Amino acid sequence: MPPLLEVRNLTTHIRTRRGTVRAVDDVSFTLEAGETLGLVGESGCGKSMTGLSLMGLLPPGGAMVGDSSVALDGRELVGLPERDLRRVRGNDIAMVFQDPMTSLDPTKTIGHQVAEGVLLHRGCSRAEAADRAAEVLGLVGLPHPRERLKDYPHQLSGGLRQRVLIAMALANEPRVLIADEPTTALDVTIQAQILALLADLRARLGMAMILITHDMGVTAGHTDRVNVMYAGRIAESTGTDRLFHGMRHPYTQSLLASVPRLDQDPGKELPTIPGMPPDLTDPPGGCRFAGRCRYATDRCRTDEPELTGSDQHRYACWHPTDGPLPPSATAAVPRATEAAAPAVHDRPLLEARGLVREFPVRGARIPGRGRRVVHALSGVSLELAPGETFGLVGESGCGKTTLGRLLVGLDRPDTGTVTLDGTDLGLLRGRELRRRRRDLQMMFQDPFSSLDPRMRVGGILREPLQIQGIGTAREQKARVAELLAEVGLPERGAELYPHEFSGGQRQRIGLARALALTPKLIVADEPVSALDVSVRAQVLNLMNRLQASHGLSYIVISHDLAVVRYLADRIGVMYLGRMVEVGSADDIHLRAAHPYTAGLLKAVPVPDPQLERAKLGTGISGELPSPVDPPSGCRFRTRCPLARERCADEEPALRLFGAGHTAACHFPLQQPLPDTPAKAATDASA
Amino acid sequence: MTAYLLRRTGQALVVVFGVMVLTFVMIHLVPGSAARASLGTRATAERIALFNAANGLDRPLAAQFVSFVQQAAEGNFGTSYSLHQPVSTLIAQRLPRDGVLLGLSTLLALSVALPMGIFQAVRRGRVADHVLTVVSFVLYSMPDFFFALLLVAVFSVQLHLLPSQAPQAESVAGILADPRALVLPVVTLTLVSVAGFSRYMRSSAIGTLAQEYVQVARSKGLPERLVLRRHVLRNSLLPVVTVLGLSAPTVVAGAVIAESVFNYPGMGLLFFQAATSKDYPVMLGSTLVVGVATVIGSLLADIAYSLLDPRIRYVDA
Ligand code: SF4
Ligand code: SF4
Repeated sequence: MPPLLEVRNLTTHIRTRRGTVRAVDDVSFTLEAGETLGLVGESGCGKSMTGLSLMGLLPPGGAMVGDSSVALDGRELVGLPERDLRRVRGNDIAMVFQDPMTSLDPTKTIGHQVAEGVLLHRGCSRAEAADRAAEVLGLVGLPHPRERLKDYPHQLSGGLRQRVLIAMALANEPRVLIADEPTTALDVTIQAQILALLADLRARLGMAMILITHDMGVTAGHTDRVNVMYAGRIAESTGTDRLFHGMRHPYTQSLLASVPRLDQDPGKELPTIPGMPPDLTDPPGGCRFAGRCRYATDRCRTDEPELTGSDQHRYACWHPTDGPLPPSATAAVPRATEAAAPAVHDRPLLEARGLVREFPVRGARIPGRGRRVVHALSGVSLELAPGETFGLVGESGCGKTTLGRLLVGLDRPDTGTVTLDGTDLGLLRGRELRRRRRDLQMMFQDPFSSLDPRMRVGGILREPLQIQGIGTAREQKARVAELLAEVGLPERGAELYPHEFSGGQRQRIGLARALALTPKLIVADEPVSALDVSVRAQVLNLMNRLQASHGLSYIVISHDLAVVRYLADRIGVMYLGRMVEVGSADDIHLRAAHPYTAGLLKAVPVPDPQLERAKLGTGISGELPSPVDPPSGCRFRTRCPLARERCADEEPALRLFGAGHTAACHFPLQQPLPDTPAKAATDASA
Repeated sequence: MTAYLLRRTGQALVVVFGVMVLTFVMIHLVPGSAARASLGTRATAERIALFNAANGLDRPLAAQFVSFVQQAAEGNFGTSYSLHQPVSTLIAQRLPRDGVLLGLSTLLALSVALPMGIFQAVRRGRVADHVLTVVSFVLYSMPDFFFALLLVAVFSVQLHLLPSQAPQAESVAGILADPRALVLPVVTLTLVSVAGFSRYMRSSAIGTLAQEYVQVARSKGLPERLVLRRHVLRNSLLPVVTVLGLSAPTVVAGAVIAESVFNYPGMGLLFFQAATSKDYPVMLGSTLVVGVATVIGSLLADIAYSLLDPRIRYVDA
């Protein structure tokens, strides 16, 4: 019997103005019913294009060439007329796309969008299609599906929209489901729910699944076999367990090593992969990884390695390695502070007390109910010592970005104070404020949209100096050169425009700009989440090094707990505008007292198949309630597994669980210190 | 939704009043006196004074404006100096004719421009797209009157296919009874609008085609035809609707030219003649009509937008 799906010598070329991109090159694999195959790699490695090729949905100029073959149950799909292909698409093979916010037509009801495919392939009546739509929407866990058929996409949260997308793909019970980064745009808590849903549906419906992802943690927990792709080719292909513990390809090895893990030793630099993937319009001869490989020899640069090995484990490498990099392979990180001991200084660099910030709800003003506000921050306090890194984590909408903006003075609190070096920022005006702002800089998530595309990099870096009137033109130029050198960019970079740099390099420019005024504190909002794994490690190492050499303090805002764990000395966990737990990185990771912290940690996928599969449950159920009407008492109670009556009536105060470790919960997971009212607790209620 | 419409209508009324003030002030700032224009350059000072007194032109501007507004509210825009008929009668006669001309040409323009824009977006960068782009730019940049004269030269003078004069009938029915004579003016206005509308539609459809939901629709197995009709058309229309609402003045400007070239007795021609003879009441009346039409146009566009886009419709829900 032929395998359910057999892909042989799949080669996809895309003709563009710049030349022909060899996006997928000679890829072969099989897929059996009921199994999940991971397609893993960094952006541009050809994993998404492989998925689109299977669907026959290539972008303009794209075509499968040579003897490419895709056979579903023995039936060849390549070369099939478009009419016949359309019967397969959405019926036998279906796809879930990455971004739930843009993947639904904003002008059509979700019922219509789910029923559309049913109507098309089943030739049933409208009423039957609507019934089926309600049925699958129920299957993917949309509450009250029948009443929601008439909802429009904008009325649903991101997590629910992703469920609708999955329902659309499942409506005709496809035999193969291709999920292209299905959870990348979602919070970890929702990601865990959606991945669990996909796994459950696959088992119940007996589908085969192709999971396309860049996330090694997701790969570890949710695939049976993995194809690691690099520069359009399969580098290594084997069972998931073997891939993580006995990889043979150097790329797999480096990729895994460069992912910061929750159990990462923050005292060590992350191993990185130098350089960038090759240009696929003109791929180099020999091994495509040769330019970045630590084991490359002359042979690698001239002869291209074929996939070899057993049926269970194939890899394309002349000098295969054996297993993961030893932990000793990397250098120790110089640290500005002693990471272990939460430093007690005479005076903190930055101190925030009882910050409250509310925004009016746009448009919707219901007569008689008064003005409705989003409670973005409801009494948050924190302290930061010189040279310290404070991590802020929480789901999107928890207020962490608002807090970051308040701390650097980009926004003002409604009540509460921010004190820098003993000066209350709220009292400063005009010139004095501007001078003080030098000490506070911000680094943004998207390195592209935060750099003016029409300015040369030199101009971008000089601008803050000019605004503050620091130095002569010549001194400013010299400073720009110095900054570029510091972040590891060539001096001639000053003459180039932002688009001439890669994502990682642009983030370096962002860091250089933040450094231009020699600040004391940099607030980094999701500094690496837009970057590929290997580049991410480079930027994280750079941030660490700069901190040590400049005695900088960082506030790192991220949804990625591993990144925060790696960078931060202390971590604050936020939920719906409140700080629910603060402690050293170890307090949070090893001795979490708040149920939310524990759930959040559980939801983070770790790149280890055994650990990942041993997890029970998904961490946190449900979604973040509206910040317009936060729940009474403990705001987490609607999702808390431990919630009791008291949680609804009484707001929990911050209590002390150890030196510098506080959490706000009536029924904490750890024993609080007896009768020691936390210092912060009094502040929070103020 | 209802609250939204009420609010928008209120805003529209305020704008109409603003239009009245502006037109009144501007017209009275223009040099040259109505009396001279109406009575001839050799009129005596006495006769001019008499004319001014009879028409209330000797009163202060503010007083003139107040009576203008009062009368306008009653549908009375005064009497034309040169045609010696009530302005309201003139407008009532001519407005329906413009309805025919502009309505027909706008409908035609949309039914050509929308598919054309989508077609170009789908074929973006290919030969067909380039050809249509060049054609639209030529049409767009050619002066309206030149274009109208060109059509006359080819189809009436050279080929004798179509009359060069628009239908002169009094009633709308009479105009429609002579469709051949209507062809050239309608075609002129249509082509000029097609050029603009199709450009907007093209760029808007290019944006829509790049959206992920279009790819999702394809992944369901929908034929491209249905993908375009169900998911691309409506979403691409959204930005175009707003532009349409705001394009009323351009369309009217085109009508003024086309009506004078084809001697079509509509508002455009009326305004043109009034402007050359400084016929204040007619100018005021017709400017006001155009102003109101523009405001109604953008109001209609907003309503259409909120019907097309559920994100607007459900704001107050
Ligand atoms: S073939 Fe050579 S360059 Fe390529 S991965 Fe193996 S060792 Fe590295
Ligand atoms: S206070 Fe209650 S609801 Fe809140 S986290 Fe603790 S146990 Fe859960």
